[in-house]
Amino acid sequence: MSRKKREKKAGRGIPLLFSIILVFCILGAIVFSVAWKISAEMSSSAIHNLNESLTLIKGTVEAILTKEAEFQDLIAREIVGMDEPEEFIRAYERNRAMVKISLISSGETEGVSNTGETFSEEGLDFSAGKTVEGLPVSGSYINDMGTWAYTIKCPVIKDGREIAWLYAEYIYDAFEEALPDGFYNGNAMLYIMDAKSERLVLKPKGIGERNAGHLNLEDFYRANNILEKDLQAEVDNYVKAGKNIMFYHDIRGESSLIYMWSVNDGAIYLIGYVPIDAIQQEGKSVNQNILIVVAVMLTAFFLCCILYFFNQRQQNKIREEQEREREIHNKQLSEALQAAQIASKSKTMFLSNMSHDIRTPMNAILGFTTLLNKDADNPAKVREYTKKITASGQHLLSLINDVLDVSKIESGKAMLTIGEFTLNELVSSVDTIIRPMAGAKDQKFHVSVTGVKHEYLMGDETRLNQILINLLSNAVKYTPKGGNIWFRMIGLDQRSNQYEHIRIEVEDDGYGMTKEYLETIFDAFTRAENSTTNKVQGTGLGMAITKNIVELMGGTIEVSSEVDKGSLFQVELELRIPDEQIDKLFWEKKGISRVLAVDDDEDICSGIQTLMKDTGVLVDAAYNGEDAVRMVLDAYGAGKSYHVVLLDWKMPGMDGFETARRIREAIPEPVQILFLTAYDGEDMQDEILHMGNAGVLAKPFFVSAFKEKIFEMQTELKENGNTPEDENGSSLQGLHLLAAEDNEINAEILRELLDLEGADCEIVENGQAALERFANAAEGKFDAILMDVQMPVMNGYEATKAIRALDRKDAKEIPVIAMTANAFAEDVKDALDAGMDVHIAKPIDMELLKKTVVQCIARKGHKE
Amino acid sequence: MRGDGKRWFCVCLAAAAILTMAACGINGGQGSNLIVQEESRGKTVNLFGPMEKSRPDGINISRTAFDMTVSMAEEQLGLIVEYRTYTAENYQEKTYDDVTLDRVRNNMDDLYLLNPDTIQILGEEGKLADLSGLENADNLREVVKTANVVDGKLVAIPQEVVVHGLFVNKDMFDKYHLKLPETPEDLLECCKVFKENGIETPIGANRWWLENFVFAQAYADLYNGGNTEEEIDALNRGESKYSDYMRPGFEYLQKLIDMGYIDAQAAYTYEAIDGEGPDFLAQKTPIVMAYWGAANAVTAYGEPDFELQVIGFPSSRGQMPVVSMTGYGVNVDAEHLEDTMNVLDIILSDEALQLYTETNKVISPSKNVEVDCIPALKQLNDKVRDNVYVLGSNANMKVEQWGNTCLIVRDLLQGATVDECMAEFDRLQEEAIGK
Repeated sequence: MSRKKREKKAGRGIPLLFSIILVFCILGAIVFSVAWKISAEMSSSAIHNLNESLTLIKGTVEAILTKEAEFQDLIAREIVGMDEPEEFIRAYERNRAMVKISLISSGETEGVSNTGETFSEEGLDFSAGKTVEGLPVSGSYINDMGTWAYTIKCPVIKDGREIAWLYAEYIYDAFEEALPDGFYNGNAMLYIMDAKSERLVLKPKGIGERNAGHLNLEDFYRANNILEKDLQAEVDNYVKAGKNIMFYHDIRGESSLIYMWSVNDGAIYLIGYVPIDAIQQEGKSVNQNILIVVAVMLTAFFLCCILYFFNQRQQNKIREEQEREREIHNKQLSEALQAAQIASKSKTMFLSNMSHDIRTPMNAILGFTTLLNKDADNPAKVREYTKKITASGQHLLSLINDVLDVSKIESGKAMLTIGEFTLNELVSSVDTIIRPMAGAKDQKFHVSVTGVKHEYLMGDETRLNQILINLLSNAVKYTPKGGNIWFRMIGLDQRSNQYEHIRIEVEDDGYGMTKEYLETIFDAFTRAENSTTNKVQGTGLGMAITKNIVELMGGTIEVSSEVDKGSLFQVELELRIPDEQIDKLFWEKKGISRVLAVDDDEDICSGIQTLMKDTGVLVDAAYNGEDAVRMVLDAYGAGKSYHVVLLDWKMPGMDGFETARRIREAIPEPVQILFLTAYDGEDMQDEILHMGNAGVLAKPFFVSAFKEKIFEMQTELKENGNTPEDENGSSLQGLHLLAAEDNEINAEILRELLDLEGADCEIVENGQAALERFANAAEGKFDAILMDVQMPVMNGYEATKAIRALDRKDAKEIPVIAMTANAFAEDVKDALDAGMDVHIAKPIDMELLKKTVVQCIARKGHKE
Repeated sequence: MRGDGKRWFCVCLAAAAILTMAACGINGGQGSNLIVQEESRGKTVNLFGPMEKSRPDGINISRTAFDMTVSMAEEQLGLIVEYRTYTAENYQEKTYDDVTLDRVRNNMDDLYLLNPDTIQILGEEGKLADLSGLENADNLREVVKTANVVDGKLVAIPQEVVVHGLFVNKDMFDKYHLKLPETPEDLLECCKVFKENGIETPIGANRWWLENFVFAQAYADLYNGGNTEEEIDALNRGESKYSDYMRPGFEYLQKLIDMGYIDAQAAYTYEAIDGEGPDFLAQKTPIVMAYWGAANAVTAYGEPDFELQVIGFPSSRGQMPVVSMTGYGVNVDAEHLEDTMNVLDIILSDEALQLYTETNKVISPSKNVEVDCIPALKQLNDKVRDNVYVLGSNANMKVEQWGNTCLIVRDLLQGATVDECMAEFDRLQEEAIGK
């Protein structure tokens, strides 16, 4: 997505975010105000409840006091009627509340008590003037039971006259039952304080030492950290006035409500504290629930937001993908359009080129034909014209071949014909073609094979040949005179034991290519053109064909180039290693088990050793002539002579020939010597012949070539120097051939050409006729059949099959040579499948035809 | 990633559904409209003890340790121990001991924390239950048993062996290049130097613990001379006089008062620690006396701003710790006697005492419990471990020591002569022998 779009989106998002925040703020404010209101109402209600509770407790305590006073008054009245009130007093047994009862007669200072002791008012303080039901009540004191107590005194009135005072002692412990058990679930403290002395006379119990441990109001303040003097003074004023009071204060870190509740007109006080949280449990709970609801709602809202967000993101992603796809489509369409335009342009250009390229040789052919007609009587001119017509025809043929190849490959119909081949043959055939071409331009052609472990490989040799010829012929074409061309075949590390991994490098120091051209070099119908190269002829299809074939073989091709510096093509291929290629028997039969390789280039020696590894032959290496001589001598001395010495011709210091000479001198055995050379070795022939048991082996070294050479030399030796039949000198003289050709012109040309070669050729117009003619002829009448493929009545394949099916001896053996314009690999395959021996593409190359016919007949003869 | 998101969404949805269902299930749904009042509390044991003033936010370690053992008992027995406390507001009010005596005699509570003198008085009155049948009584050290057996009955057991010592401000001693006193003469010399350096009252005292000076000098030889039983027998038979033992200590106290090293008037009115404590903590007074636990309690001298050292009281035999036994006694007529005994058995178990002792860093009454003390108490602890101490209370002595000596020292503070004080001892001895 573009930055602008993102910014635009972000710009839209900010106001939305602010709106959401605003909504939440408003919602938060509402929730807060509701919670606050509830809290305030609950707080007010809680304080009211506390107030009610304290008032209730106060009422209960006052009721107890009142009952005590009333009971005491009742006793006083009872005493009036008694004769011996002292006895009543002494006999009284204390109960839980009234623990002591005493009587002092009026006018006396001492009286009797139920405890049996003499009783006086001493120690009792009625100065506060507090009363219960009008009866004076004393200040609090520790009684003889060791607990806090108070005394109420009641006059005994008889006949309106005060005759005595009845004193009753009550203990504060009696109030315990009246006080709530666990005030506010035990969170609240409740003490009873004597207002005058400010002593805490009844303390909560069962709640640990700390809370049971306050001594008086001052201690209560100190222990609860209520140290504000103003507050204390204010509270004191209220206490003195006998009023109820509550105030907030933190107690042990908790906000609490401290209360002081006046009982009995301020004679005693209920004091204590309760944490706010304890009295507002409901409020807290409600607020908590509100918070939970809000939290759940918020969570749900955020979940929805997240879902929405994810959904939106998903949608955006889909939209983006669609946009991307659309963009890709558009791009593809525009590319396709561009490609189509380029293709159209290329094809237009191609047609223009082809028109030009075809017309040029055609023009030459027709022009020279005209000239030929005119100068028919001049043999020299006729030969010159026919030579030029042939050259133009050859060029025209190569153009047509390339165009057809591309057409085939592009339509996906191209097939590989996999077969066993040797690198030796491949390299030597390429060398045979390219070296003369390079030589014609005074170019140096360097061939090297390194690190290849297997030279027998499986692959389409024809196509490989095509690749190499394309690359190398281009190198020759695009390299000026005197330049260099390197052809390297490098064995790489094997990825699998079954495949040889090879890199083929074709390098030149020629014109090179521009970067722009490099990008389209493998496209069809392109051709590098500039002022230097535009004179180079070509269809512009070679590299496209090459690339396609390489890819068809599962390989890769790369190119690097710089203008005026040269180009490097690298082809990497993996070629299958045939299952059985080791021919140890050959070497055993030939009696070769030890070979000495002599070359100043260590890589070459190493390469020889690698290639010979599986042959069972021990290969030693020497890097100069001196070492080689010494090693040969040593081996001879040890009785382990070398059977063959592979000797580099050109070596610094002692050269190959000198080394060979010294070897011959050193040992009496004429050890077999093969000179390795990259040259044709023509100029060495005399010396080699003179040396005896020696030969030339072309570089690069291949085992197959080595074997062939050994075979050849040993055969030569056996035949005492008889030279083998010169294949090139083969002739068709005296041969009887049957040819099936429906095209009269072609038939005429064929006849004339064969006539020139001295062969007798009988031509029939179709396969059926060929079959009949062969069937009717005597056995051995014909030496070979030249069979066109596309013919009326019966085509070449059918005819061949029928001939092979004939019940006569020569029907199976007679060479049938396909001669057809169907020149593709599959055509070759079809021909062979039909029983033909070999395939030759039209137009007829007479030399090739001659060679093929001779070979086929020779093979037949050999079989016989 | 997308799958994870869906999974989380499902989990959240499931959780929300469960919460919703759970919320619906909270509804009472008992099918009855009756609301039954919860049963009132179950068993209780009433405990009466002295009150210690608590600080607003401070924690009294001693109480906390005691509370922990009580809590242990409450949990194990399924009952509640209810505290009742008392402390006199001033010297004119009834003392804790007086109130304790009244409360025990009136069967007000079940379990009491008793001072040595009340143990002896109530034991002799037969008001305290025999605790020797408690499972954990066998674990007690001999010294504990000795101090608390009255008329052949083990009437009280402490949670700690209370050792009294001199609490000294080591920084002040160092300031005036004074060695910590070993003998009474050493202490006089120290006080002299302090006085000369402007410290008005070198020894801070209260109305309870000055008697330790007397015990240290009176009984240093009796308890450390190897002839303890014979000497006590002689005292019980009247063949030797308490006054002879006590006189040097009283004369020494008189000297301290006369020389102004102790403020007798103030001491007479001061409650323990509350009175003299603030001056000691403010480093106005270099010496006070207190019990072992005061060195651990933040409510007492647990966090001083100076180096505190606790040493024995000076005597002819060097520094002498005074061991007095406060202890828990059970009212023989207690309303919840069985539960009380069970509570006591648990709070005196080795497990509880280990907890108590580790928390308070005190000397345990159980011979099976030993813990290290704080550095300030090391000197005192070493003495006790070496069995160098005097007993402040001994139930084997017919004349109760701790309470009586305290009262007679108060007489001295109020101006009685040493001879008058000795006469009181003689009277008490005669009275005891007469019983």
